[in-house]
Amino acid sequence: MSHSFETLNVGTLVLGLGHPWRGDDGVGPRLVAELAARPLPPGVALRDGGTGGLDLLHTLEGWERVIVVDAADMGQEPGTFVRFTPQEARLIPKFTEGSVSIHNAGLSDVLTLAGALGCSLPEIVIFGVQPAYVGWREGLSPAVEAILPRLIAAVLEEVKGENHAQNSGD
Amino acid sequence: MSAVNVNINVHHVTRVEGHGDIVVDIKNGEIKTCRFEVVEAPRFFEAFVRGRPYYELSHITSRICGICSVGHATTSLRATENALGVEISEQTELLRRLNFYGEIIDSHVLHTYYLVAPDFLGVGSVIPLAESHPDIVMRALQIKKLSGDLCAMIGGRHTHPVAMAVGGFTHLPTESEVREMKGRFEAARADMDATVDLFASLPWPEFERETEYISLTRDDMYAFIDGTIKTSDGFSYPIEEYRQVTNEWCVPFSTAKWTKHNRDAYMVGALARFNNNFDQLHPRAKEAAAKLGMKPPVINPFLNSAAQVVEMVHCIEDGIQIMDELLTRGIQPEEPPAVRLNGGGEGVGSCDVPRGILFHNYVYDEQGICIQANCVIPTNQNYANLNADMRALVPQIMDKPQEEIRLLLEMLVRAYDPCISCSTHFLNVTFV
Repeated sequence: MSHSFETLNVGTLVLGLGHPWRGDDGVGPRLVAELAARPLPPGVALRDGGTGGLDLLHTLEGWERVIVVDAADMGQEPGTFVRFTPQEARLIPKFTEGSVSIHNAGLSDVLTLAGALGCSLPEIVIFGVQPAYVGWREGLSPAVEAILPRLIAAVLEEVKGENHAQNSGD
Repeated sequence: MSAVNVNINVHHVTRVEGHGDIVVDIKNGEIKTCRFEVVEAPRFFEAFVRGRPYYELSHITSRICGICSVGHATTSLRATENALGVEISEQTELLRRLNFYGEIIDSHVLHTYYLVAPDFLGVGSVIPLAESHPDIVMRALQIKKLSGDLCAMIGGRHTHPVAMAVGGFTHLPTESEVREMKGRFEAARADMDATVDLFASLPWPEFERETEYISLTRDDMYAFIDGTIKTSDGFSYPIEEYRQVTNEWCVPFSTAKWTKHNRDAYMVGALARFNNNFDQLHPRAKEAAAKLGMKPPVINPFLNSAAQVVEMVHCIEDGIQIMDELLTRGIQPEEPPAVRLNGGGEGVGSCDVPRGILFHNYVYDEQGICIQANCVIPTNQNYANLNADMRALVPQIMDKPQEEIRLLLEMLVRAYDPCISCSTHFLNVTFV
């Protein structure tokens, strides 16, 4: 019997973040769905983290390594993806004093909160994908759809510990 | 003529779920405008469940809210079960109640710690709170994880339960899971004590306005699921007669409907339950109330958040008792009973969810297809009362600096724990 909650996780979690009805914001869940249809090495789990809010902190807990796939505005060409660690980027929290709701907190907020609390987190690798369009629309834009095969390959290599590339090279 | 001039326009109050604005306009001491406006887009859930089969409704309506999805699912299932004459087992009742407690704790801890506490501790949000008071935020996260894990153990996942079905559950927790969860609940008593101490130490604003408090009530327990409707003005109704209580109506500045009963406004939520059903709280919850200085009737709406703290203690204690009972009885491998449509029918379900009394009302045809639906959400039922509180509070504080007035009004809105997105489900608003 399996459950969607774990108190003791080991190994690697591939975590897709975003909403499939928000255009390219859905790239994370889409990537997770694509990987679910492929053979994965043992000790690798997949999770559609959706728009998990601050509870994402609990999702990160207990893993040795978490590979996050999320849409990210990096000022690049739409469809470009970049592999980076939290230490290599400045993530801007959404949930600051002026923001409206706590329920749309994202990865940056969770990492900020973890930092403020002094939580020890697993090794985190982020695949940020530059969106072409984020708004009320189902499905990915052609630019992001086109790079999916390479993104899948890069994440799979990362899962196997073979990915040393810094970005998609576009 | 007073020289007081105040102009407050909080466009989208922060630390509430959804979009609402505070508008106050005072000229020369005369209050021209003082209200809370709801500007959230309507949701249309009642329209899009029409044409769907009975077994889908709890899964669809659970999406009304990501915070109280178990509450909507439970209420929806009770409406369907009442419509189609489906009986549920004692085990199902126990598991549903336990699951419900998980959500009450989850929602109340989110509200009291993340949304209310920052106002008192002089920070803008939970992030700076984590820097200034990491122990407080760590405790909140720990309680949230416990309640989320409980919901996952029973419902199959933290939010939007997949295992809850018409008549019962499609998946049951194992006894060892329940035993482990019970141990974690017992260990959480220390966190509850610390929570009570923290909120007892906060300087709650002094403001009182008597109103009508409306909640569910039951003879056998502090009511969250099923029962009859009780009002503090002495009225009582079976849940099927909820329209006698809610009397929904529209105001031009709100996309959410308002409600009224015996007076122009009434209040639902933790404080209403506390006032109406105090005697049935667990003794430890009553002790918590005493520490918080609360004895019914409490008519300070700011203390709705403190009543939530009392309810968290109750849910931990009663949750432990339920888990004891489940372990003594043993978890039986039951499956939901086959549903006989019997020509369809109409049913009402009611639960007192984190923000107050909730009603779902469905009509099914002979094929079990929903042909009509009505959902009355707690936040709607509080809007008239919130506005009445604002109108009573503003004259008492209008001599204070504008920023202080603004903060107090925001705190008042937050005290109601409004879930604005849930409340805007109908567009039929007449603009006059």
